[in-house]
Amino acid sequence: MSAVNSYTQDRNPNTNTTAAESPAPAPSKQPVPTAKTVDTQSVLRRLQSELMALMMGGDAGISAFPEEDNIFCWKATITGSKDTVFEGTEYKLSLSFPPDYPFKPPKVKFETSCFHPNVDLHGNICLDILQDKWSSAYDVRTILLSIQSLLGEPNTSSPLNTVAASLWENQEEYRKMVEKLYKQSA
Amino acid sequence: MELRLDSASSVCNFAILDSLSKNSIDEMSNSWNAFCSATEELLMGAGDLSYASEFGLHVRNLCRIGLESLVVEHFFCTMEGNFEKKGALRFWMQFDAYRDFAAINIDDPDQRGRMQEVLHSALENISSEKQYQEKCLQFFIHALETGRESKSVDQTPDVVRNHLLSKYQLTVSSVLMSSLPRHFSDVLHWYFKGRLEELSAMTAIGDGEFEVYDGMDLDLKPGINDSDETHLHENILGSNDFVKNVAVVVRDLRSLGFTSMAEDAYASAIFLLLKVTQVHDLAGDEFRFSVIDSIKAWIQAVPLHFLHALLSYLGDSKSYESQAGLKSPLATHPSSRFFGSGPPPEELIRWQLRLEYFAYETLQDLRISKLFEIIVDYPDSSPSIEDLKQCLEYTGQHSKLVDSFIASLKYRLLTAGASTNDILHQYVSTIKALRTIDPAGVFLEAVGEPIREYLRGRKDTIKCILTMLTDGTGGNPSGSGSTGDSLLEELNRDEEKQENTSVDDDFNIDDKQAWINAQSWEPDPVEAEPLKGGSHRRKVDILGMIVGIIGSKDQLVNEYRVMLAEKLLNKSDYEIDSEIRTLELLKIHFGESSMQRCEIMLNDLIDSKRTNTNIKATIKQQSEPVADVGEQELSMNNLNCTIISSNFWPSIQVSKPCQTLLETKSRVLPLGNEDMLLSARDPEVTKGVKVDEALKIPGPVDQLLNDYANTYNEIKTPRKLLWKKNLGTVKLELQFEDRTLPFVVTPLQASIISLFQDQKSWTPKSLAVAVGVPEDVLSRRINFWISKGIIAELAQDSGDVTYTLVEALAEGGKAGINSGSSEEVLVGDEEGEGSVASVEDQLCKEMMVYEKFITGMLTNFGSMALDRIHNTLKMFCIGDPPYDKSLQQLQSFLAGLAGDEKLELKDGMYFLKK
Repeated sequence: MSAVNSYTQDRNPNTNTTAAESPAPAPSKQPVPTAKTVDTQSVLRRLQSELMALMMGGDAGISAFPEEDNIFCWKATITGSKDTVFEGTEYKLSLSFPPDYPFKPPKVKFETSCFHPNVDLHGNICLDILQDKWSSAYDVRTILLSIQSLLGEPNTSSPLNTVAASLWENQEEYRKMVEKLYKQSA
Repeated sequence: MELRLDSASSVCNFAILDSLSKNSIDEMSNSWNAFCSATEELLMGAGDLSYASEFGLHVRNLCRIGLESLVVEHFFCTMEGNFEKKGALRFWMQFDAYRDFAAINIDDPDQRGRMQEVLHSALENISSEKQYQEKCLQFFIHALETGRESKSVDQTPDVVRNHLLSKYQLTVSSVLMSSLPRHFSDVLHWYFKGRLEELSAMTAIGDGEFEVYDGMDLDLKPGINDSDETHLHENILGSNDFVKNVAVVVRDLRSLGFTSMAEDAYASAIFLLLKVTQVHDLAGDEFRFSVIDSIKAWIQAVPLHFLHALLSYLGDSKSYESQAGLKSPLATHPSSRFFGSGPPPEELIRWQLRLEYFAYETLQDLRISKLFEIIVDYPDSSPSIEDLKQCLEYTGQHSKLVDSFIASLKYRLLTAGASTNDILHQYVSTIKALRTIDPAGVFLEAVGEPIREYLRGRKDTIKCILTMLTDGTGGNPSGSGSTGDSLLEELNRDEEKQENTSVDDDFNIDDKQAWINAQSWEPDPVEAEPLKGGSHRRKVDILGMIVGIIGSKDQLVNEYRVMLAEKLLNKSDYEIDSEIRTLELLKIHFGESSMQRCEIMLNDLIDSKRTNTNIKATIKQQSEPVADVGEQELSMNNLNCTIISSNFWPSIQVSKPCQTLLETKSRVLPLGNEDMLLSARDPEVTKGVKVDEALKIPGPVDQLLNDYANTYNEIKTPRKLLWKKNLGTVKLELQFEDRTLPFVVTPLQASIISLFQDQKSWTPKSLAVAVGVPEDVLSRRINFWISKGIIAELAQDSGDVTYTLVEALAEGGKAGINSGSSEEVLVGDEEGEGSVASVEDQLCKEMMVYEKFITGMLTNFGSMALDRIHNTLKMFCIGDPPYDKSLQQLQSFLAGLAGDEKLELKDGMYFLKK
């Protein structure tokens, strides 16, 4: 019984019901295994359970799924939040997970071009939790939620797309720009 | 006349014609005329042969001048005409009364007697007529012979005579046949039937059922039989005069050329009698006795005896007898006893075989048509199954059985009105019954298919099977308890068998055993369907066939798990001996691994018992110093918890996974005396759980549960308990001014009633809040107390209702008829909503998971083909349980989603509907 219980904990450290609890074990665990020693099996398992949690979570506006035969490459879909200039748009992203995930963040890119201060023309995203602020407590779901909220609240102080950053002040114009570009790409 | 003469003679001899003088022609015509009138006289004169000498003279004269053929022809012509007029016409006239058989009550003994008389006299008349004519014929032949004497003859007299005699026979029968009325065969048939019935009745009279048979047997014993053939016949015939009568009739009929008709008539009469009086009357609706032997005995005693007497009388066994007679005197001795020890005459054996086959076939048809009823009372009706088996061995008409039984199954059993239990019961009986008839199970296969097919379409099949498997009386208390017993028995029996076969399956199978197996191999019966061949069918295994209905054992095991969970959760003690036993048996049958989860469930219960004791002991120690607190009556002793490893249990009507589930039985005595059962949960998890779990239990009990959980946490760190407050049972006692009522109820019901301790009346709304369940749930549950007359539902002026505690018996007496009957009522109204999610629910849940996955992949990939969805699900949907559906199942599931407007199918690709 004990084995089973601990297994459950391992598998679902980040499910929403225990979210309050999860940050506590995460830091304590992180130093223990060095990135290199993680075996593929556990990565697979982790991704598998993240997928299951994501599917069952049913968060509106975000979705992701592994590509056909490779669980390390996912496609994701984010829809613009309501009451933002991105409302009514839908962006495709790609996520590619390193073999030592979750100790390294996945590489996340916009596939659909996105006119956004923190997204460059190639779709690269400037987001702290995808770089130096990464923690193994984050998962696909939190990444996608973060990106979704980033759409509505860009960090204009360190922009990748300066045009977008300068236009951000004028929301109406910005909205028009987004719609124009979105139609082009669609 | 002249013309005929000329033409005839011209054919005969032209030379004679030349030599004819006028005189001789006159002479010839004179003598011809004389011959004609003499013939007339002779045949008309009844028995008077005075013209004989004159007649002979004419014949001789005409023969001499070469007119023999003409003479013969004329004679026969006249005789035929005569017979037609005097014999046949009169003969048939006597049967005119029977022209319309439908109008005659043939069962009336008077009628029958009259008919017999008519037949007898008619036959007698016509026979005497025929005899007279035969006499004339003899005379004629004699005259012919003497007339021919002078001439050189190329034919011997014997040949001529035989030729003429047979010609006469032919004439007689053709005359009769050509004027045969249609009803005559009926007359004969009824005649023989009547006679046989009499014989049958005679043999049945007396002490010995087949007196005559015995008598005959005795007579035939070598010691008593003096080996005199005629004596023997006299013995037999003497014992039944009327057989002789019948024999005379038959003989007369034969001589008139009705041989085959007579035979048909008595054969059909015998068969009819056999069918109606023996097979149908004996075996009709009686399945508890075997009838084959008595039918066989009857065949020996009545029809064979009859035939024997008949044939002996007619001399049909003549050839045999004369043969015997020709043998040396020494040889006659044994041969004359052929009825005793030697073989009976061939004819009789043929008859016996025919009759027996007919009896088997008739009985078989009868049994087959009643097979459904026979199987309904199976264990009692096994003798008739045995009968049927014997019959089928003779007739080999198994396919008839299969067809007819399937038809009656479809008509009578596989209908919406039949309960699944009954169908299963019948199925098991069918298996057992047909196993007797057909040990190889080939026909069973065919017959069982429609039943299995049908049962697969029923939702409660698995449940019923499990109930039958695990306990005899459960599920259907109204009846078929025996079925359950027998299945459990089957399970037991299987244990031994399984041990044997597991040896067989072993690789290093004993050579000797292999040899024995090989020797006992038998080919499939020819009726077996070659497509469905397979040695697995060899042993008819009831359990296997039952499981076969469901398709896979996984499903069965799964359902069993749910059932077991329900049962275990409802236990108020930790006694699980019978479950362990059943599980062991199932393990033998289904394999250790598939029953592993169930084993864990049982182990949980065993562990719970130990943990429970342990925790209580710990708490007791700790609380010893403060033992005097106001918690007084609410003692830990009244609390029993079942701690389960939820990963291995079927999901428990709760959507979130939890580490452990705990069920309690506690004793609370706040107002009156109440025994309560409660379940509790870790507060952390309460967020997002179903409302009906948010049950609020009385504070002291909650406190108790917390103490318990804390102690558990101390003992088993880091594990914690998550309470399932809605599960379990509460034993409580309600104390009123005038009475005390014990109950066993659910925690929810207990919580409801406990609220009435402090406040005598509640509005539904406030009560729902206090208990922590929605109003509709509350009103359903509170009905339990209302029906017991403990709480009354009172309508207010405003139209609202309030629930009020009924204090005195008098007040609630009318409603509370049942209030005394305590424990057995339990949670009757909640039968439908068990605490464990049923397999169907689980299936729904599985499908929901698939739907989410499909939505997820379609969101990200736009459109996908069926097989890509299938493969993707197979690859990524590996939760619990993993995706295991077939392509077809997926397709129909997707079609369902498309029907719900969730998906769209275009050119073989699926899209999300926007």
